[in-house]
Amino acid sequence: MSEWRREIDAKRAKLEAVRKAKAEKRRQDELSRSNSSTPAPGQSSEAKREREKDRLYRIISDFVGEGGSRGDSTPGSSIPSTPAAVHPGLGSGALGLNYGGTRSVSRQSDSGSERGAQRNTMVQAGGEAPDRSSVMSSAFVPDLIEMEQELFEMPQKERVVYNKEVQTAAFDEDSGPTIEELRQQLRAEYEQAQIQQQQQREKELEEEAARLDQEIEQEIRELTEEERATIFAAPEFFNFVEQSSKIIQRALNDNYDYTRDYTVGAQTGEDESEGKRVKKVCAFWDERWCKNRSITDIDWSPRYPELSVAAYNKNPAGINEPDGIVAVWNQHLLERPEFVFHSQSDVLSVLFSPFHSNLIFGGTYSGQILLWDTRARHLPVLKTPLSAAGHTYPVYAMQMVGTQNAHNLITSSTDGMVYSWLVDMLAQPQEALELVHTGHNKTDEVAITTLDFPDNETTTFWVGTEEGNVYQANRYDRAGSKAGLNQHDVYKGHNGPVTGLHFHPLAGPVDFSDLFLTCSVDWTVKLWRAKVGGKPSTAHTSVHPLYSFNEADDYVYDVKWHPQHPALFGSVDGAGRFDLWNLNVDTEVPTVSTVVGERAINKMEWDKKDGRRVALGSSDGRLYVYDIGDLGVPRESEWTDLQKTLGGLAGANAAQLGLDGEQSSRTLAGR
Amino acid sequence: MIGIRIFSDNYFQASQVATSSSTAGTSYSSSHTATTPELEATLQMLSSHRTVLGVLLLSRASPPAIIRHSGVVFEGEQGRKYAKAVGRIVDACKTGLDDIDGETSDDLKFMRIRTKRHELMISPDERFLLVVLHDPTAV
Repeated sequence: MSEWRREIDAKRAKLEAVRKAKAEKRRQDELSRSNSSTPAPGQSSEAKREREKDRLYRIISDFVGEGGSRGDSTPGSSIPSTPAAVHPGLGSGALGLNYGGTRSVSRQSDSGSERGAQRNTMVQAGGEAPDRSSVMSSAFVPDLIEMEQELFEMPQKERVVYNKEVQTAAFDEDSGPTIEELRQQLRAEYEQAQIQQQQQREKELEEEAARLDQEIEQEIRELTEEERATIFAAPEFFNFVEQSSKIIQRALNDNYDYTRDYTVGAQTGEDESEGKRVKKVCAFWDERWCKNRSITDIDWSPRYPELSVAAYNKNPAGINEPDGIVAVWNQHLLERPEFVFHSQSDVLSVLFSPFHSNLIFGGTYSGQILLWDTRARHLPVLKTPLSAAGHTYPVYAMQMVGTQNAHNLITSSTDGMVYSWLVDMLAQPQEALELVHTGHNKTDEVAITTLDFPDNETTTFWVGTEEGNVYQANRYDRAGSKAGLNQHDVYKGHNGPVTGLHFHPLAGPVDFSDLFLTCSVDWTVKLWRAKVGGKPSTAHTSVHPLYSFNEADDYVYDVKWHPQHPALFGSVDGAGRFDLWNLNVDTEVPTVSTVVGERAINKMEWDKKDGRRVALGSSDGRLYVYDIGDLGVPRESEWTDLQKTLGGLAGANAAQLGLDGEQSSRTLAGR
Repeated sequence: MIGIRIFSDNYFQASQVATSSSTAGTSYSSSHTATTPELEATLQMLSSHRTVLGVLLLSRASPPAIIRHSGVVFEGEQGRKYAKAVGRIVDACKTGLDDIDGETSDDLKFMRIRTKRHELMISPDERFLLVVLHDPTAV
């Protein structure tokens, strides 16, 4: 690099030197040219005139006996030449100079030495003014002035006399009869050649300079520190790096070699394992954001099937980091989240808006509901008030109900408050509903841990509580039932807080949407049939579960029905296991049980499109994505099979109650 | 000017020794301006990908200048050659596209040049270029 720099500097220096020399030369040329008496073509005749003048002077001075050295004071040409005449050697071939020199020399040689001194002084002082010479001469010969005038006229006469010579002189431009003329012509030619050469050299130099400049322009240069600092400070630079690095990472992760030549070589193909297995696709984890945090909620994007979002709680070791994080992960970009959003307190629930692909809702530990936009930066764009107008307790459950044009966000907190919000107006809730259970023997507070709406329902929902009961609630007053908790139907079954509640999705020929699953810390998953419609009961009744699944050895943290297969559901527990159950195959043991990690899995979510993948959020901050392959593809008979299975389960239930003994082979664990 | 250059070269040498001992095979051209840690982390993540051989971050002003580079492939003279070549490639593509479709501005978004041995991925912008050289067949 330094050699290159030195080269450039050397070239630059050379350029400068040449330029300087050129300028010098030009200056000298100008000086010398201004010294020359006349332009080249007319020079010979002028010079001739001068010579004749001189001869005349000599004749006259010989006659008069005084110095007729007025020739020096002829206007114009002689004045600059006189100082130069003192240095006869100086000159670059200008004719006038030499001639002046020869003139003075000849005069000195011709006239006597007595006049030489005079003339010398006159010669030296001739530059100032012709006045002095005229003053000096007027002391001697006043007539000479007149003679001067005559002198002016004389050349004309001379011209008349030497007409032929003049003619011949005009002809003799090429040959040059005298040495003087030859010399002059040679000098003229030489000068011209020199001028041309100079011009050419100048042009070359300029070209080279231009080329050098271009080269310097195009050379890759290192940035100075200030330039670097300005670049780094610019926000566009940062954005550019973020965007382009994401794009490049996604391209890097795409492992398919599209230039592969299938005709060449026998590739040892990876055998596609049969579709009966549950395989891990990837695990999303980021060193910076996910360290020491646990995942609290997961959702898949309804619009882009490769995107999933996970909510994280606090990192106890990171004091300066935000307490709550929401990260959007892309299937094609494994190393880092697509987006990271911050929150002031732990985010406990997260939701993609089903109607706007850019919006993400989050419910926090402080009770605030936050709205993030993927088009904006990492801070929430809208927040609910952190006062009595909003939630003041942790919001563990959120759901969006309604249609594209009329939808609400329903959120619930552990103090029993259920608020309904309009998406663009989070400043105050649209409706507030407090669920109280007045008939309870201990407390009328209902600590909601989970909430779910059946598909297609927007006004009635079920909540799971910390005490283990599940209640139905209505948003509005209806015929026969009031807004609020339905205190009469208590879904009693669990012995500990209910951690998950999920209604059967409304897909398929048979409607099972009154079935729901719950799971709790009492190691069980229970299947219930909801009491909908019919006459509302007026007395306290306990509704019992249809069935209870007791396979787990640890807290069961989440349970979710499969979106496509009616008899399939998954559950995750605190031992890091993911169980896939198929009711049509076996109701006692899960079909596939996979150990995902050592830490507990907090949440699970099937992907919305076809349920082929499932996202599992573990308590060490990792988001696992598993693929279940063909297990999730339902056959036509699944629905009817499930009906039969349910009938069997109901019958078994009845048997357990001592009414029906036909299904005694099925063992039922406690409720 | 020369004094600053020499100093930065020394610093470059020192930091190269330091980083090559700490990280596996990646090195950065030094600058003692404050670069944000996110930037560093991002570039580090890119360079440490399994198949990536080098990362080059250029500014597109004329003359193009190297802001940051990493990896053996983009060191020194080779890196400058790559930078010049990439600049020319992107400009040529741009003019080509403009010739095709002058009125509707269809900007160049991403370029992936697959050669026999490597793949060069270029992400262009109005003012900057991010270039990554990787070997897709690296196991």
